[in-house]
Amino acid sequence: MSVKTALAEIPRTIWTSIFRHSLPSSELGQAQTSFTNFFLHIHPVKVNRHTLKATYTLGLGLFSFFLFVILTVTGVLLMFYYVPSTTQAYDRMLDLRGSVAFGTFLRNMHRWSAHGMVIAVFLHMCRVFLTGSYKRPREFNWVIGVILLLLTLFGSFTGYLLPWDQLAFWAITVGTAIAGYAPVVGAKMQFLLLGDTTVGQEALLRFYVLHVVVIPLAITLLVAIHFWRIRKDGGLSRPAEADLAPGTEAVSVQVVAAPVELKPAEGKQAFGLMGLVRGPFTKVGNTPENTVYSWPNLLMAELFVFILTVAVLLVISLMFHAPLEEPVNAMHPPNPAKAPWYFLGLQELVSYSAFWGGVGIPGIEVALLMMVPYLDRKPGGVGRWFAKERLLANTLFVTFAVLNVILIIIGTLFRGPNWEFVSPW
Amino acid sequence: MSTKASEQSGDRRSFLTWFSSAALFGSAVISALANFVFLKPRATYGQPSRFSIGKPDAFPSGARIAIETRRICVAREGNQIAVISTTCTHLGCIVGVADTGFSCPCHGSRYDQDGNVTAGPAPKALPWYQVKLAPNGELEVDTSIEIKPGSYYNV
Repeated sequence: MSVKTALAEIPRTIWTSIFRHSLPSSELGQAQTSFTNFFLHIHPVKVNRHTLKATYTLGLGLFSFFLFVILTVTGVLLMFYYVPSTTQAYDRMLDLRGSVAFGTFLRNMHRWSAHGMVIAVFLHMCRVFLTGSYKRPREFNWVIGVILLLLTLFGSFTGYLLPWDQLAFWAITVGTAIAGYAPVVGAKMQFLLLGDTTVGQEALLRFYVLHVVVIPLAITLLVAIHFWRIRKDGGLSRPAEADLAPGTEAVSVQVVAAPVELKPAEGKQAFGLMGLVRGPFTKVGNTPENTVYSWPNLLMAELFVFILTVAVLLVISLMFHAPLEEPVNAMHPPNPAKAPWYFLGLQELVSYSAFWGGVGIPGIEVALLMMVPYLDRKPGGVGRWFAKERLLANTLFVTFAVLNVILIIIGTLFRGPNWEFVSPW
Repeated sequence: MSTKASEQSGDRRSFLTWFSSAALFGSAVISALANFVFLKPRATYGQPSRFSIGKPDAFPSGARIAIETRRICVAREGNQIAVISTTCTHLGCIVGVADTGFSCPCHGSRYDQDGNVTAGPAPKALPWYQVKLAPNGELEVDTSIEIKPGSYYNV
């Protein structure tokens, strides 16, 4: 090969060294694209058609994930201008508004996607419950999901303090005081979280470290496990019909799993991969008739949700500004002093009973949520919204969810000075 | 190797496995817990819990004076002086001081002159702090020491 040819082919050789395949033009290519690309290989090569039904998932898990991605990107950018110091933090907020290019806009995006993520994760949980998707073999993924919900709330809560304005200071004073009501460990936990007896420089630094490092890392790790388990637990939940070839009918077959004993034979013993895989896995039920290639079908669906997320967020961030009140005045609490909105249901309860509202009821609710898949083990009704077989479970869940939402609405809109009942109209 | 000998060696092996796993796991847990020791500050950078509030003359008899920066209220009756916390026991807001008692602007808790709850969601009374005359003749408050409500210091 002449030097001239080698030089001329440099662009092409570099390109092909990065991308193993050109854009797929055949089914083999479609499969290879998902299989060999680092960013795409999180997808199976083929997915069940039911997985792509927008009316089933409503894209809520993806909304949550994309909001988290946006939060990470905007958060890292904001970190370039933020100083977690009680004397500088508020000035930096004003700088973001006044002298940093896109400062206001980035802060708006970060603020609104944080609120959005709390809502999206909550709705995603409702979807998973109401379609019975937490049932075997997806029990543990539900538990991870509950932990992710708690981390989302905690991430949002720790970020609330950072602007160091009146809203931030008193919301965290009230919020950490609620945590202080836990028996035995409450006061210690509050001290550990604040690094002092009151909200001050130590609390600001601690919340900053938790907000920018600890919680995002924990969320990233758990999201990775959450996604990985979707694959290993057999893809997204779906009704039994979705695993049948079109035009066929379900036949009830009792499969008795005979435990295969793996006896070490004399000498060498080789196991095939199939011998190690237990339970449902991605390939089960995925016949060519009821699956489609991930490229481009799944990717297009994901791209659609991403663009929708970004578009809605851009519009909201252009229309509404993230709140910034007066700088902290530790001597004059606003009346009323309110926790972040997602904790106002708790604060409403705390105004009746400090222990039950702050610790008892939320503790029981979280424990019940985590135990859901282990308490409700009936196999029926998976993969359909509001399945008849799950009437009781769904009714209970919706009641709890609606009660929490009502308490939040009361705490947010119907409570005025001195926590007295006011009409928002 | 006889059967008996191999069983014994299996016992020893499984014991050692369990023992070393437990030891490893135990030390991992202890190391993790050590983080909490690290995170619990030994010295705080905020306000000291013990501080001077000036000479007793600054507080005339019958006065109830709030020192907002310290989150306390100094009450004096004759020669008797008391220091009462103004941090609401409900959710940590600062209560306002009036002649009739204390009232919290955040969630409407009310206390009488001695800090006992009279209305609202506050779960307990406002604590009383220790106050003493320091050698230099100034009053010294220690908010880390709570005293029995109603016990005054004679100046």
